[in-house]
Amino acid sequence: MAIDKKTRIEWLRQMYTARAFEEMAEKLYALGKIHGTMHLSMGMEASAVGTIAAIEKGDYILGTHRGHSQLVAYGADLNRMMAEFMGKATGYCRGRGGSMHIADVPGGYLGAQGIVAGNIPLAVGVGLTIRNTKSGKICLCFFGDGATNEGAFHESLNMAAIWKLPVVFVCENNQYGMSMNIQDAMAIDKISDRAAAYGMPGVTVDGNDVMAVYEAVAEAVKRARAGEGPSLVENDTYRWRGHSKSDANRYRTKEEIAEWMEKDPIARFQEQLIKEGALTQKEVDNIEANAQAAIDEAVKYADESPEPDVSTIYEGVYAE
Amino acid sequence: MAEAIIMPKYEMSQEIGTIVEWAKQEGDPVKKGEIILVVETDKVTMDVECPATGIIAGMRGEPGEQIPVTEIIGYVLQPGEELPAAKTSEAKQQAPAEESKGSEATPVAKRMAEEAGLDVAAIQGTGPGGKVTKTDVENALVGEEKAPAGIEETGKVRATPAARRIARENEIDLSNVAGSGPRDRVQAADVLHAAAAAPAPVRAVRQAGEAIPFTGMRKKIADRMQASYQTAPHVYMTIKADMSIFQDFRSRLNARADKEGTAHFSATALLVKAVSWALLRNPILNSALSGDSIKMQAETNIGVAVALDEGLIVPVVRNVEQLGLAEIAETVNDVVQRARKNALTPAEVAGGTFTISNLGTFGIEQFTAIINPGQTAILAVGAIQEEVVPDGDGDIDIVPMMRMTLGLDHRVADGASGARFMADLRDALQEPELMLW
Amino acid sequence: MRELTFLEAIREAMVQEMRRDERVFFIGEDIGTYGGAFGVSFGMIDEFGPERVIDTPISELGIAGAITGAAMTGMRPIGEIMFMDFMTLASDQLVNQAAKLRFMFGGTNKVPFVMRSPIGSGAGAAAQHSQSLENWYVHIPGLKVVMPTTPYDAKGLLIASIRDDNPVIFFEPKLLYKKAKGPVPEEPYEIPLGVADVKREGKDLSIVATGMMVPRSLEAAEILAEEGIDVEVVDPRTLRPLDEEAIVKTVMKTGKMLIVHEACKTGGYGGELAAVIAESQAFDYLDAPIVRLAGKDIPIPYNRILEANAVPQVPDIVAEARKLAKGKV
Repeated sequence: MAIDKKTRIEWLRQMYTARAFEEMAEKLYALGKIHGTMHLSMGMEASAVGTIAAIEKGDYILGTHRGHSQLVAYGADLNRMMAEFMGKATGYCRGRGGSMHIADVPGGYLGAQGIVAGNIPLAVGVGLTIRNTKSGKICLCFFGDGATNEGAFHESLNMAAIWKLPVVFVCENNQYGMSMNIQDAMAIDKISDRAAAYGMPGVTVDGNDVMAVYEAVAEAVKRARAGEGPSLVENDTYRWRGHSKSDANRYRTKEEIAEWMEKDPIARFQEQLIKEGALTQKEVDNIEANAQAAIDEAVKYADESPEPDVSTIYEGVYAE
Repeated sequence: MAEAIIMPKYEMSQEIGTIVEWAKQEGDPVKKGEIILVVETDKVTMDVECPATGIIAGMRGEPGEQIPVTEIIGYVLQPGEELPAAKTSEAKQQAPAEESKGSEATPVAKRMAEEAGLDVAAIQGTGPGGKVTKTDVENALVGEEKAPAGIEETGKVRATPAARRIARENEIDLSNVAGSGPRDRVQAADVLHAAAAAPAPVRAVRQAGEAIPFTGMRKKIADRMQASYQTAPHVYMTIKADMSIFQDFRSRLNARADKEGTAHFSATALLVKAVSWALLRNPILNSALSGDSIKMQAETNIGVAVALDEGLIVPVVRNVEQLGLAEIAETVNDVVQRARKNALTPAEVAGGTFTISNLGTFGIEQFTAIINPGQTAILAVGAIQEEVVPDGDGDIDIVPMMRMTLGLDHRVADGASGARFMADLRDALQEPELMLW
Repeated sequence: MRELTFLEAIREAMVQEMRRDERVFFIGEDIGTYGGAFGVSFGMIDEFGPERVIDTPISELGIAGAITGAAMTGMRPIGEIMFMDFMTLASDQLVNQAAKLRFMFGGTNKVPFVMRSPIGSGAGAAAQHSQSLENWYVHIPGLKVVMPTTPYDAKGLLIASIRDDNPVIFFEPKLLYKKAKGPVPEEPYEIPLGVADVKREGKDLSIVATGMMVPRSLEAAEILAEEGIDVEVVDPRTLRPLDEEAIVKTVMKTGKMLIVHEACKTGGYGGELAAVIAESQAFDYLDAPIVRLAGKDIPIPYNRILEANAVPQVPDIVAEARKLAKGKV
């Protein structure tokens, strides 16, 4: 599949932005400016970017709790993202959602998700909407390896398959649920093996190879738009940081982490682009600097934004 | 082998059947399938078939009696067989006397007690022959359930929120109100009762400078008072009566009333009768001036003035001349009580021909009253007080004396008529037997 | 006016709304050709086809997720859970997703759906098919909870629920499906959510009842009327949001409140009602303790007698009301 240079450079830019966002989020948390908990996706940028590159604006995305990279790839407004992180009134969710519940429903990003596998049944509903309204859209549903052991995963894939709903199920397998290694959590080798149980195609790809991810997802998207039904794509990847901020990484070795960091998706892709002559190192440095600047800008915006007004506390519980 | 006849169940949720009538009598021969009984449920009346051929015995259940379904109501015996001993209610009835207290209970009472975990035998029965009824179980349950939780009580009055509110609004002290609820809890009705029974209500001292609206009943009374005062030239005369015989008369009547469980005789009620008797002998005082004629009233409808917060209300006892003392007593008690609660109908305050106003309970010795417009006279009654009187032999007596002041309309009657009336009245009070004259 | 059964009224509400608004579809188990476990949707698939009357595998969580996801993206689905006992399987989607998505996402979206489900005991279906867990859902902000008790109320409330922009849990006392029959207007009409109904006026005491306990309380009221006890029966109809004013008003009128519901007493809706009254201006008018007559704190037994015993029946209501009316509580 030939993707033009401009697009691929855009992918690199997105990955750098995602990385910068995560690094900043980590820093802000350490400074006490972000409270609660946070799930960082450093090392998983290619999975988010490659997947979302395969859909069109207006298609639906159901994210996960580890969804910052997905949001960046989706094209979320960094200012509003950062403001929501800090619980400010100008955030995507007016400060009511935080990291795990950032959403831009009008734009098609149907929210990050605080319950593992909680978004997978929603994909069935979104699929029904697309089918009944004949809108021609598709629904991307992200989840992790741990989610594939929840009942919700099985019920939803089954229902999507029997009705041939236009859904692409994307598993970001970062090898660990919270602390349990995926190989200990299932008796099969690959998560994509589960697709056969529901009568849909399943494929495992190198989740840190943005192009490989793109190709696999694009194939699935094509199927879905053609009315041939759902697919399962497994992106094999790794998270550099623990599950959440309170994770001391006792369940994996430093060696393992180091090993995966060698397979940094950004470094790999950028090396490829430079080798091709699509980019110079200087241009890459620019991209990195610009990404950083955008993030700094977002932090400033969020810092200067007001807290939500307590008198509005009941707003949004019910629709009038 | 004795075959049991049971009260049949026809519906899933049916719990009892009612005996309508037995088609057989104790000892009759019966055939299997024959109709022996008619029973009724909520919805249907059914014929009950005999379960076997033989002799019917041990029948229980009178027409109208309710029996829980599946209970045994009789047996079909083979010739020579005895009734199974322990199971019939007849056997129960033959149980030794010391067991019988409490074992007698209606089926519903038994079931209720069982369900509530109560020992039916321990419940006092108020039904015929000491039978424990449903109400007895209910009352026992109330006592049981509301046993204190063991938390120490502080000695504050137990009263419902509604009772407290009414007490507050009427400035009644809750600790003076007897409670009729469980654990002597004061309920709303108790406070209302206390409010009604209170003597002329004691009003809180009005704040200086408070402006009370001069409207409604107050204004109406004012208008009538003024009209009467200005139109009728009032003449007053006072007589005093020795009430010793009257008081004795009254207590004897009340002793009888206690025995018969009828209404007590108030002094007012007896006074009403005496006045009526005196009026019949002096009819000019029982008249109404209207335009250019004086109507001589056929009946003596005596009004008894009752003080309310908002003013005066005068319930009327009609046709006193036709009523016996007991009836007057009952009527007076009733209308006065309802007058205090402002629960009189318009009919009850209309049609009076003469009015009695009594300020004796306040200690007033004597006073003058204003005639009720439409009537010719009014009697103002004072307190009965012990007075020292010469006994005619140079010695003194202490006598309960009551002063009554007649106010009469001088357009209609003159002093002499009034004087004769008052003398008759005094005589009737001092010699009550005269009222039978 | 023609009469419909409770079940027919519910079907008519769905059919009329599906005709009026193509965004409305119906999804649940065995609702298609089978016509629904209780027969509610009989014939609907013939009129609307399998894309709008959707049979699902046995996947309650999937059904709840499907209606949530569809509602989020512009549809107005109706879901059915065959027995409300099975809503436990759908909990995450109802409680963590549907009830909260609007709030968590800052109010930019809505989740308009109705999840219908039969509720209550009396069919001999035993512990896992007979529960009344409505108070679980009353407790969740973001959800609305409705429980009609007459055919007229059922149609009007269901239409209003379908048109409401919030997730509505619609409980249908299963014993009423065929037993309750009454006049129902032919044209569509709405009964607003959050409005109670005085089913019988009276002055001696107020019975506030829900579900099957409403017709039983009305029966009890007739029996008590013959004893000279005049009972007012109030049906909240919507449990959340509750028409507090109506409840306060009836207790202020009579001074005595008997709450009757089928659900277990502990943690049941009665506690909520009692507290509402205790905190309200009706407090000063209470002339007796507030009494709750509710299901026993047991799973519903299989045996018919035990089952009947597990929840209030007409004689129980009569006995409690009588005691309360006579100032014996």
